[in-house]
This record gives sequence, C-alpha cells and structure tokens, in this order.
Amino acid sequence: MARDTYLKKVLGDECFGRVQRTRVVMVGAGGIGCELLKDLLLTGYGEIHIVDLDTVTLSNLNRQFLFRKKDIDKSKSLTIAKAVQSFNYFGAKLVPHHGNIMDTNQFPLTWWSQFSYVYNALDNLEARRYVNKMCLFLKKPLMESGTTGFEGQIQPIYPYYSECFDCQAKVTPKTFPVCTIRSTPSLPVHCITWAKEFLFHQLFDESEISSMNNEEQIRNETDDVQEKENLAKEANELIDLRNQIKGLDGSAFIESLVVKIFQADIERLLLIDTLWKSRRKPIPLNFNALSTELQQLLHAKNNIISTDTKVWSVLENLFVLYKSGVALQSRLKSGKESFVSFDKDDDDTLNFVVAAANLRSSIFGIPLMSKFDIKEIAGNIIPAIATTNAIISGFSSLNGTKFFKHDYEQTGSVDFSPIVKESSTVFISIKPNKYITAASLVSPNESCPSSSLLSRGIMNLTNQELQENTLRWLVDELVKKYGYEDGDLSIIVGKSRLVYDVDFDDNIDSSLSELSGFEDGDLVLIQDENDELENLELYITVVNEPTTEKLPNIQLREKKAIKEKNEDEQGDSTIENNTNQDGTTMVIIEDEEDTDLVMIAEPASKKRRIAGEEYM
Amino acid sequence: MSLCKTRLQEERKQWRKDHPFGFFAKPCKAPDGSLDLTQWTAGIPGKAGTLWEDAVYPITISFPEEYPSKPPKVKFPANFYHPNVYPSGTICLSILNEEQDWRPAITLKQIVLGIQELLDTPNPDSPAQEPAWKAFSKDRTMYDKKVKEQAKRYVNAG
Repeated sequence: MARDTYLKKVLGDECFGRVQRTRVVMVGAGGIGCELLKDLLLTGYGEIHIVDLDTVTLSNLNRQFLFRKKDIDKSKSLTIAKAVQSFNYFGAKLVPHHGNIMDTNQFPLTWWSQFSYVYNALDNLEARRYVNKMCLFLKKPLMESGTTGFEGQIQPIYPYYSECFDCQAKVTPKTFPVCTIRSTPSLPVHCITWAKEFLFHQLFDESEISSMNNEEQIRNETDDVQEKENLAKEANELIDLRNQIKGLDGSAFIESLVVKIFQADIERLLLIDTLWKSRRKPIPLNFNALSTELQQLLHAKNNIISTDTKVWSVLENLFVLYKSGVALQSRLKSGKESFVSFDKDDDDTLNFVVAAANLRSSIFGIPLMSKFDIKEIAGNIIPAIATTNAIISGFSSLNGTKFFKHDYEQTGSVDFSPIVKESSTVFISIKPNKYITAASLVSPNESCPSSSLLSRGIMNLTNQELQENTLRWLVDELVKKYGYEDGDLSIIVGKSRLVYDVDFDDNIDSSLSELSGFEDGDLVLIQDENDELENLELYITVVNEPTTEKLPNIQLREKKAIKEKNEDEQGDSTIENNTNQDGTTMVIIEDEEDTDLVMIAEPASKKRRIAGEEYM
Repeated sequence: MSLCKTRLQEERKQWRKDHPFGFFAKPCKAPDGSLDLTQWTAGIPGKAGTLWEDAVYPITISFPEEYPSKPPKVKFPANFYHPNVYPSGTICLSILNEEQDWRPAITLKQIVLGIQELLDTPNPDSPAQEPAWKAFSKDRTMYDKKVKEQAKRYVNAG
C-alpha cells in the first residue's frame, strides 16, 4: 500500500495534491518546531522552509526530540532539516535558514511572498508581532501557536477576516525597579533577582557592571541621598571583595562575603529611616551565632545540596552558599576560567544563587523557596512539556491544512470568509473537562492597532528615485492617489518619528534619501489628520527598475464606513463577560445562527500570557 | 509598536486643535530633523490668584514604548521646589503612576491640567523632597517665599 493512501482518504485527492504543490515556512525550530516539522512533513507538504536564529543547547534535549547531544552548539534550523530526512517519505524539499526572521536583508518582503502559508513556532512576543505584521502586509494566512506548561493554544489568523495577533492586548513582562531589588525586597523573586543579577554578577561574571548597579537608573528612581550613597558603597565593597577572591582562602572568602552582604549591608540599610516607615525592618544575619553549627555541618557527611524540592533551613542555605561559593572561587583560582556566568544548568552557579536568595529572603521576612522552584524563576523557565508541544503542533498542522481544501492558490483570492468559518482557535489545559476547548474565529478587533482601520501596501522606489524625490513629492503623490482632503496628512517613520504634518513642514524639500526612515524594509505610517480615511502603512522596497505604480493600488476605506460595518457584524453575536468566583473569566460567545455554545474558561490574563509569551 | 505612534500623533493633533490657555506642548526635534513623538517639552502656567501665578513652569514628558499601556514620565527641572517633586524633577502624581491611577485613556491635556492643579494643592501625604515638604508642613511663610522666588525665575519661560 502506498504511503499516501490514508492521507488521500483523509484530506481528499484534491486537497492532498495542493498540499504537495505548496511551499510553506515554519518560523522557529524549538519545542513546537520539532513536533510541528514532523507533522508538516508527514502531511506531505512539498516545500518547507525553516527559520531559526538559535543553536541547540543541553536543556533543549529533553523535549526537542530531533536534536541529539552531538548537535549542541549547532544551528537549530540546519540540524532539524537533516534530522528529519530519515522519514521524509513524501520527498519534501527542506530549506533551512539560520537567521533572525526580523532581518529585512536576509528575509525581505519578496522572500515572504513565495509562501502560501506561514506556521509560527516561536517563543517570543517581538518575533510573533513581526511575523503577524508581515502576514498582514501580504495577506498570508498564519497559524500562531504557543505553550506554557500544560496549557497551550493555536490561533489561525486570516488577515483582515479574523483576529490578528495584536487584536488582543498582550501583557508586557513586569520589570522591577532597581531600588526594590537592592534596598526593599518584598517577594522571593526580588531576592532571586538580587542574587542572580547583582550579587552573582558583581562577584563572578565577566563585567563588573551589572544592570542592578546602573547609576542612571538608580538616580531616576530614588532621590534619597542616603540610599543612593549606600547603594554605591555596597557595590564598591563588593568590587573590592571580587578583587580579593583569588587571594583569600575558602572560608575567609565566604566569611567576609556573608558578613558583608547579610550583616553589614543590612545594618547600613536599617540606618535609613525613611525606608522603614511603612515596611517591616530586615533583621541582619548573625554569622557568629551560626558558625559553630556551620562547621559541624561542613564536617559531617551531608548531601542536602542535592535535595532540590525541599526548602532548606537558614543554616542549610548557609552551608550551600559556603560549598558553592568555595567551588566557584576555586574555579577562578585554577585559572581555567577568568569569570563564571550564571547558567541554570551549572550547579555551582545555581546553588550559589539559591542559597544567597534564600538567606536574603530570611532577613527580609520573605518565605524561602526550594532549589527547584528558584531554578524555575532564576532560569526564566516555565516548564516546557513535550506532550503539550506535541498536541499543539498536531492542532496547528491539522487546522492549517484545512486551508488547502479551498483553492486559494489558483484563484489568488484573499477573501478568507469561507475558511474563517471552518477554522477555530483551540486551547488545551490540564483542567478536567477543559482539556480541549475550541472557539470560532472572530472578526478583527475594531481598535486593534495592527489590523483595524489600517491598510497596507508596498512602495517601490529605485535608489535614484529616493535621491531625486522630495518629501513634498511624496505628500503630493499620496494626496493624488488616495485623496486626502486638503492634503491634511501626517507621515511617521520608524518607531515614532514624525517627518511631516500640516504643522511641521521643515523637511518638505529634503529628498527621501536624506531623511532617515525611507530605506529598504522600513515602515512608514500615513494618517489622515481629518480622521476620514483609514491609516496606511507602507513597506519601502528598493527596486532596480523604476515602476509606473510606485504607491500600492488600494482604495483607502472611510473610517466611518468601517466602524458601521463592524457594528453591523457584531449585531449577530453577543459577547458576555462574567467573572466567576474562582477568578476565571468566562467568555460566552453566542451565535444566533449557530446554536453551538462555545465556552472559554481560561483566566483572561492567563490566556493572554499563553498567546504572548511562552517558553518551549 | 504601532499603537504607541498612532496614539502619539493623535495626542499631537488633539493638542493642536484644542489646548488650555497659557500652556504649550511640543515634541522635540531629533538630530535627523524629524520630530521625536516620544519626547516632548511643555509649559505649565501657574494658576492666577495662587503663589504660582505669572510664571510658566517647564516640564519634559517622555513616552515609553508601551504607551499608552504605561504612563509617560514627566519631569520639572532638577531641584524644582515643590513637596511632590523629587530632587531629580520627577513628578509624583497618582495619574502618572502605573500602579495607581494611570489609565490609557488619560490625555496629554488631562496630564498637564493635573500638574497645574498639583502646583497649588500639594499632597502632604506623599513627600518627594525634604525642603519643600518640611516648609509646607511646618513653616508656611518660608514656603510661600520660596515658591514666589521660584515663580520669578520662570516668568519668561516658554
């Protein structure tokens, strides 16, 4: 029996034929990528491009099953393409690219335009946003996916027909003010950050300047002169100690370290009254009182250090600090390493950070944590689970392949309404009865900065045209082409640099090449200051031959009309938001034409986190 | 992110159409000749009939990339005399604090009006600097004198 017999039965001859003629790209070759590539390959895709900028590390091997120990430090994309050859039954052409997907030189818009479908298997927000944007530019269907622990989701994105990645706001990761970390910690994570980013970094790592000792940032945050002096003094003393590390013997080094950071520094902090007006005062560690017991522990046979799920006592933490500190010291002394960087898989460094974080926690009355739990936080790890990745990748390829039941390729149509009806977002979790939940796709969010009230297109110019044409020319062309009333438009380049509006025409006679922001791959945002036409985003492409159509041939819609249309569409379904007692938000989407009730019972914030950030 | 830039241009437009009397606000010019919409300078006039009158106090406003999810950072010149202004000039105001009353819907106009309001009605419960706070709570004559001296220095500002 031929290998494609069942595939043909499942997909149908026509669909399978299209899949075989299709060129897709998979962005990311990590946790989801390994699973997904296997699925795409066995679905019979004709040509698969794989992009990843990363290399294989030891900690990948437990779940990224296409990598082996011998692959460590090798390019993920190149390795993965070779690894699947043994089961490349349908003879797919595999094209790996080692590089950053956001690099417009390596991956210009023309490169993107060759694909019929884009599969994301990414692990960060920035790249996801970028791929989403490219797909919106080119109206390419995109399958977004992500996992955290037991939870995961896929989201098919059909540009302008369903919600895009930016339609739901994502929570930006929280950062802590330096002063909280250095002077007034109140959570375990503050102490862990202190131990890893400040203490460990200042003592052992390459550069003596850690982000936790950034003067400018401290100046911005606190104006307490005493506190600032104190912070500087603390850091300088640590540098002194760093300089002595190789000269001191083990116990002298640990003793001076402990006395300084857990006793003297804390006593000095206590002198700053203003800090403790509304906070619990820290209690300095009494090293002398503990030293006899510590000596006993050091001489006894003890393997507390290897128990990683138990929370160590203060004394045990001191013991671990001693052991790991001395180990790190002797590594420096041996001369083989001139510095040591924190690595969650390097046990000396992890033990040191765990013990130091816990000792600081005990001083500030913060609960201590186990090595296992601290490793998770210090290593920025959210446990990645191979099975979750496998399930999500399965949904991703199954759902994505549905697209090829339609003949978009031949017709070149970008009316995605039929496929939108057949696709769904899928969530998986470990909660009983909610292992799998699906939700039908909804129209783009009206206030989405990326897909609503915005059209996109490509502006083709030669280098010569960029040099010869002025900003005034561009404004005139835009007005002629799209009909901005009174020429009342604004032009923003880069992240937020305004080059033109009615009130700012200083650059009007500069050529486009003189203004920065009009280079190949740059994005330019045009807005109607009268608020009548939707926004326009142009992707600058430098071409060799002048074209007759420099600006994209599109008709900008009227904002009013878009809003009315959206209101009409939303009349069909009602969305209720209820907060349950357990804090989860229930979103019930009732569609009057379809009696299916779809429930998503994930906490709203969690859901966004899954979509936003996840660690595979 | 694009939300940040569309919103900043919207703020600029709204300000141009309508802004409170006596105030000014404009983005700074970047070295390449464009306007950096994330960095603004503005002037806050002291309310008539208060210690702060007849002067325009300069502030700088910097918008982070996460704006409007996160609030802008607003500063007077360093060592500005006011109980709720840090020695660095940073203004301590609840609507500018992400953990407190910042809402993405708060506009530039509301921010500058809020700061004008703060000038003559300091909040003694959140001191940000020693000299002005002490004087305000213990030695009102001295406080008034210092504020008036400062007002003279900003008569021509803006």
